[in-house]
Amino acid sequence: MTLTAWIAAALVALLSPTAFAEDQTMARRQQGILTGMPFMANLAQRTFVDDLGRKVFLAKPPTRVVSLAPSVTEMLFAIGAGEQVIAVTPFCDYPPEAAQKPKIGYTRPSLESLIALHPDLIVAPHEFIRSDLLSKLEEAKVPVFILDAKVIEDIASHLQTLGRMLGRTSDGDRVATALRQRLAELRARTEALSRPRLLYVLNSEPLITVGSGTFLSQLLELAGAANIGADASLPYPRLSMEQVLAKDPELILFPVGQAEGIPEHEQAQWRRWSTISAVRNGRLAHIEGDVINRPGPRIALGLERLIDVIHPNAEPAR
Amino acid sequence: MKAHAGVAAAPSEHAIPVPRGAVLTRARWATVLLGLSALAVVTLAASLLLGAVPIAPGRLLMILAELMRHGHGAVDAVGSDAAIVLYLRVPRVLTGFLVGASLGTVGAVLQALVRNPLADPYILGISSGAALGACVAVLFGVSVAGLGLSVLPLCAFAGALLSIFIVYRIAAAGGGGRLPVQTLLLAGVILNAIFSALIMFATSLMTPARSFGMLAWLMGTLTGPDLIGLLLLTAYVGVGVTVLFRQASALNVLSLGEEAARTLGVNVDRVKLILFITAALLTGAVVSVSGIIGFVGMAIPHIVRLLFGPDHRLLLPASALVGGSLLVIADGIARTALAPSEFPVGVVTALLGGPFFVYLLVTRKRGAMQVAA
Repeated sequence: MTLTAWIAAALVALLSPTAFAEDQTMARRQQGILTGMPFMANLAQRTFVDDLGRKVFLAKPPTRVVSLAPSVTEMLFAIGAGEQVIAVTPFCDYPPEAAQKPKIGYTRPSLESLIALHPDLIVAPHEFIRSDLLSKLEEAKVPVFILDAKVIEDIASHLQTLGRMLGRTSDGDRVATALRQRLAELRARTEALSRPRLLYVLNSEPLITVGSGTFLSQLLELAGAANIGADASLPYPRLSMEQVLAKDPELILFPVGQAEGIPEHEQAQWRRWSTISAVRNGRLAHIEGDVINRPGPRIALGLERLIDVIHPNAEPAR
Repeated sequence: MKAHAGVAAAPSEHAIPVPRGAVLTRARWATVLLGLSALAVVTLAASLLLGAVPIAPGRLLMILAELMRHGHGAVDAVGSDAAIVLYLRVPRVLTGFLVGASLGTVGAVLQALVRNPLADPYILGISSGAALGACVAVLFGVSVAGLGLSVLPLCAFAGALLSIFIVYRIAAAGGGGRLPVQTLLLAGVILNAIFSALIMFATSLMTPARSFGMLAWLMGTLTGPDLIGLLLLTAYVGVGVTVLFRQASALNVLSLGEEAARTLGVNVDRVKLILFITAALLTGAVVSVSGIIGFVGMAIPHIVRLLFGPDHRLLLPASALVGGSLLVIADGIARTALAPSEFPVGVVTALLGGPFFVYLLVTRKRGAMQVAA
């Protein structure tokens, strides 16, 4: 019984941040519009509003930044603020120099080691920062800035916001503009193409896929696929296998990679569903999970790889 | 279930006074089990109609007829509906029945064996052993290339076996060759605690995506094995449940107390060993196939005891039939209520079983909570 109770608690803990994030979408969208205007931020007295609506005041650009997620680390390095980063998570493996930085925990960093680092800014994603940790850090007067990428555009505005916070406004704007431009180019490539029905296997046993309203689902749509999980009203539904057979996906996509991903033997299990078009036509494909799961600057690369997998016969990338 | 009927249906085998309720006659035994079997068949058939994709009864009959006539060929002729019936619903419904039947029987056996109404198939530390096995599989991405078998269940089964071994060694060491029931229970509880700690440690090392996947598997799914796996499971459960059924008379005697049983000529240690090992192996197999499904093993024997009395010759097979049927119904709810999504069947069994158990506690402070005495 204890074990069952513990499993239930752990599942709730894993799922709850996504649940209450929905309510805040509206408020954040409005703030996104405000913080997306560089001149306004310069006029404000270096006060920044994060994706939870919390105000973070930074008298001068921080020089001791701690990143609590791989996506955040990638963004910080992309805007050239790598020097200002003093610690990252064990999963921060890109760019290579990020892996050289001292490590701090991921979902359960030690509060003591965090404070002992004397950070002047901690940047964390909404999904993984625990509220008790956040309130302790607030008590200790450590500025924490929370990011919550709901749509792909959020990544570009995060890059700009981080740029302004870290005294790298022009770098942030430049990287964000390049990202927006690249995304627009990629979008144009898939607009006229047919949209194959796609099943994204987030977890194989039991099957869990991505539903509508998630970051990944948008990315799949942008890449010119019709996500068969989008009908389910949950963000990460345990899709019924019956539904999969009835929807008959033309492509089954498995994320693979170091930290996450579907192992080979679980992929092989899918070959037994011989009525599925994707299986009959040998269209079981994989994609490096890191480039599409992380809401960071490599998302354009992720989208490009997705398009290559989904539309292998379309004109190649320029 | 026919093979052992002769053994279990011999009420006069031991001249033991039946403790409570009506004396079990051969006619009542047969009537109850026939009735429950009919109920089980109806439940299984009706559950074939349930699913995320609606298939009308007429079409289902047509598909079943095609499958009878052409086997796998029907899938090509009829298309995805036939694949849904043959590869998804039939295995799933049968898996649900086998799992429920095993949990029900093992629950009834353990409640009598440890003389504790709260005993369930997981109390011997088997669930946490299986969970730890699954955890290790996920953490290290264990892979057995070429076997074509799903690795997660295998690791879970190995974990269950490990915990059975440890619990048994602890209990045997403490009892000087015997298996003291209290030590067995305590060893199970303590092993649960240790393994749960190890599981928490292992999940804290995983990325959220991986621990999420593992927990989702543990929460209980009946998506089920492929056809070969299903045949293996059927054979395994068939043998295990039969072994347990054959000890029904001995269990009746054992529920009078160990000393009484010894005086009446039952080889208590041997019976306990057989029951313990079989129950543990059965639970290990079931957990490895379905994850952890709570309350079936605990609540079913109580329901059956209320309805049909405490005689184990009837209690064990009836618990199997009722447990199987109820789990199939619970799974029917789990896979249709949120369609096209599903949720863990353990949620349904706990939500149905929990309040029922509270009801038992409140209304029957003495009678029903005592086990077979």
